[in-house]
Amino acid sequence: MNPELDQYREECRAWLNENARHCLLQDGMTLDEEIALARKWQALKADAGYAAITLPCEYGGAGKSELHKIVFSEEEMQHRVPRQYFIISLSNALPTFLHYGQSNELKCELGPKAVRGEQLWCQMFSEPGAGSDLAAVRTKAEKDGDDWIINGQKLWTSWAQIADWGVILTRTDPTVPKHKGLSYFFVNMKSPGIEVRTLKRFTGDQDLNEVFFNDVRIPDSQRLGEVNGGFMVAIHTLMMERYAVSSVNAPLDEIIELAKNTKVGGEPAIHDSAIRETIADTFIEQQGLRNIHRRAVQAISDGGSPGPEGAIRKLLMGESLLRAGKLAMDLLGAEGLRAGSYNRFAKSWLNAPVLRIAGGTDEVLKNTVAERILGLPQEMRPDKGKAFNELP
Amino acid sequence: MQSSAQTADEAIAREIERVIASEVDEPRLKALLESPASFDLPLWKLAVEQGWPGLSLPTDIGGLGLGWRDLAEVAQVLGHATVSLPLIQATVVARVLMAADNAQALRPHADTLASGNAIVSVALMEPGDAGLAPVPNLTLKGDTLTGAIASAPFANVAQLALVRAQRNGKAVLALVELNEAVTRHTAALIDNARAAASLEFTEAPALVVEGASALGDVLALSALMTAFEQIGGAAACLELAKSYAMEHKAFGQPIGAFQAIKHKMADIYTAIEIARGCALEALQELEQGSLSLEATAAARISASRAYDFAAQEAIQTHGGMGITWEGFLHHHYRRARSLALELGSTAYWRNLLIDQLVAGAKV
Ligand SMILES: Cc1cc2nc3c(=O)[nH]c(=O)nc-3n(C[C@H](O)[C@H](O)[C@H](O)COP(=O)(O)OP(=O)(O)OC[C@H]3O[C@@H](n4cnc5c(N)ncnc54)[C@H](O)[C@@H]3O)c2cc1C
Repeated sequence: MNPELDQYREECRAWLNENARHCLLQDGMTLDEEIALARKWQALKADAGYAAITLPCEYGGAGKSELHKIVFSEEEMQHRVPRQYFIISLSNALPTFLHYGQSNELKCELGPKAVRGEQLWCQMFSEPGAGSDLAAVRTKAEKDGDDWIINGQKLWTSWAQIADWGVILTRTDPTVPKHKGLSYFFVNMKSPGIEVRTLKRFTGDQDLNEVFFNDVRIPDSQRLGEVNGGFMVAIHTLMMERYAVSSVNAPLDEIIELAKNTKVGGEPAIHDSAIRETIADTFIEQQGLRNIHRRAVQAISDGGSPGPEGAIRKLLMGESLLRAGKLAMDLLGAEGLRAGSYNRFAKSWLNAPVLRIAGGTDEVLKNTVAERILGLPQEMRPDKGKAFNELP
Repeated sequence: MQSSAQTADEAIAREIERVIASEVDEPRLKALLESPASFDLPLWKLAVEQGWPGLSLPTDIGGLGLGWRDLAEVAQVLGHATVSLPLIQATVVARVLMAADNAQALRPHADTLASGNAIVSVALMEPGDAGLAPVPNLTLKGDTLTGAIASAPFANVAQLALVRAQRNGKAVLALVELNEAVTRHTAALIDNARAAASLEFTEAPALVVEGASALGDVLALSALMTAFEQIGGAAACLELAKSYAMEHKAFGQPIGAFQAIKHKMADIYTAIEIARGCALEALQELEQGSLSLEATAAARISASRAYDFAAQEAIQTHGGMGITWEGFLHHHYRRARSLALELGSTAYWRNLLIDQLVAGAKV
């Protein structure tokens, strides 16, 4: 559909075929080994101009379009290379710093380090009382001469334990309504007064952290955006990636294979009507999503914006993986309870709850679809218009 | 609930609930999840001392003489606490052994089960099938067994297993001692606290449990009592979700004020109450001596659905708090799947139910 892009895809493919095999994930790798591998992969990509495709060249990016990034992501997904470690760093945190940062010198210094994977940035928005309700953050930053002093606690910060830098949303004025009293900063994660405690997910993953701030002092030059204008910057961070290529689809082909090879009460499972129904439903959903994806790419390539229907992709992902994982486990019977690499279906079933929560819960996304896309009125919000410090 | 049998079941169940609450804390349950095929042996020893294995078995084999309703109540307590003890197994198997045509030969085994001196694993599932094939692959030649059984709960700590095997092309029930002729394989499971193992038999001596209804009875009774365990687990999930929804706030109000969360709670409640209704209906049939396959299958399917759903949506209600290892909800999320798959998955039971309805439909 676009010769230049087709050509680019060929280049990506050839480069990936040549290089990905040096950086493949192996079963049983430790976290440290995986992170080392991810850094190596990131550096390889940086050398070839694939590490931060849309970022400006002076900051270590490749200065190419969103479409190029989509093409590369689609091709990269075909290889078992480490992809998860630098997503937030390079797609959300760093671009916000580069967009709002005050010192060009610092941007030129830190940009390339992050792109090459030498440094990692984390994103500190959520707190115990502020997840879906992002504007409810309590961690406060108080002015002290030319500095700010930060106190409070962040929660669910991905990769804070290995991060060098972080972006953070704080409360700077509690006397105004919650959205209006927030300011946004970047901080060195090794600053005195920052303590990181790693949490274990029930899947065993150790990517999430609590981050405690105890009189952490940062200069005003580390503010991103206006004082009390931080909420807009946070929205910018979250919307930075207009169109993320998602890699998590229910493995339909494998489920069909499984249904052909297992039995239910002596009969081939593939003849079971309920199993057939789930397979058909999964296919139909994926078909619809494929087209939504295709149209989004077309729109971007025509210089426009993807339609709002892209919002349902994230919504369907968790439920669809849950349903598919459960079906596959049901097909395997008692053997479906096996954990670990032996049974990727149980693994995807164990992971599905996170997909329904991280990056916007199902319930909140449904509200967004109903309110933002369909224009339905909001539910009653008792906190609307009230000063933050007067909320119950 | 009104009959006099009620007072007994309430009393023993509350006592078991009290003992479990004082003995078992979350770190202990988490430790069991950490390594494959774990079993809470100290708790089992306590259960044996207190006579729990024989609580719903007749006094003449050393039981406490209570009924199925009492066991159902206890199963809910176990499910609620996610405690794995082979009590349903002991009761169901001892009862089936005693009702067999060759009850006399099997009697010593029923006695050891009633006293808790032996643990039995109900190990009916075979690899490669999510239900029970009409003719199992496990084969009985003369009086020895050869073949394999899929992962079954308590098989790693049991002295006995009750299996399905083919004899002259027909499925029969066989009791087998887990000695040198049997190899146990354990593996990491999503729920390691089930003391599960798969079994491989090489000419293992076995005793056939003779009787036309033995096979069907084991399956139906196990499924029905497990349904109560599932309902107990689902109810615990609803309690956890509800209390979190009432205390945790977003957008200036308890999240329980959002219709999305309220509807979720109502949906979980509905699933649980349908399952409870089906299970109590089947229990009543059982007490009247006429447990039907329809009623059993309805209880099994609805309870599997309710527990899976309650666990998954209770996690969702907790947001990020639902996905930590430290939190408790994943214990239920795992257990829901274990209980749903160990006795044959829903696809299998749905077919049983429909076949039964079709056969019984009056035109
Ligand atoms: C794996 C993972 C990685 C993460 N990484 C990061 C990170 O790097 N940085 C960061 O800042 N955060 C991160 N998060 C946090 C994530 O953004 C939050 O978990 C998410 O926004 C939900 O917030 P919460 O957990 O506080 O749940 P809550 O917002 O407390 O939600 C609890 C329940 O209430 C429901 N609810 C809330 N509001 C409404 C409403 N208006 N209507 C209906 N229902 C509602 C929710 O749907 C949910 O079911 C991560 C989370 C996970 C799971």
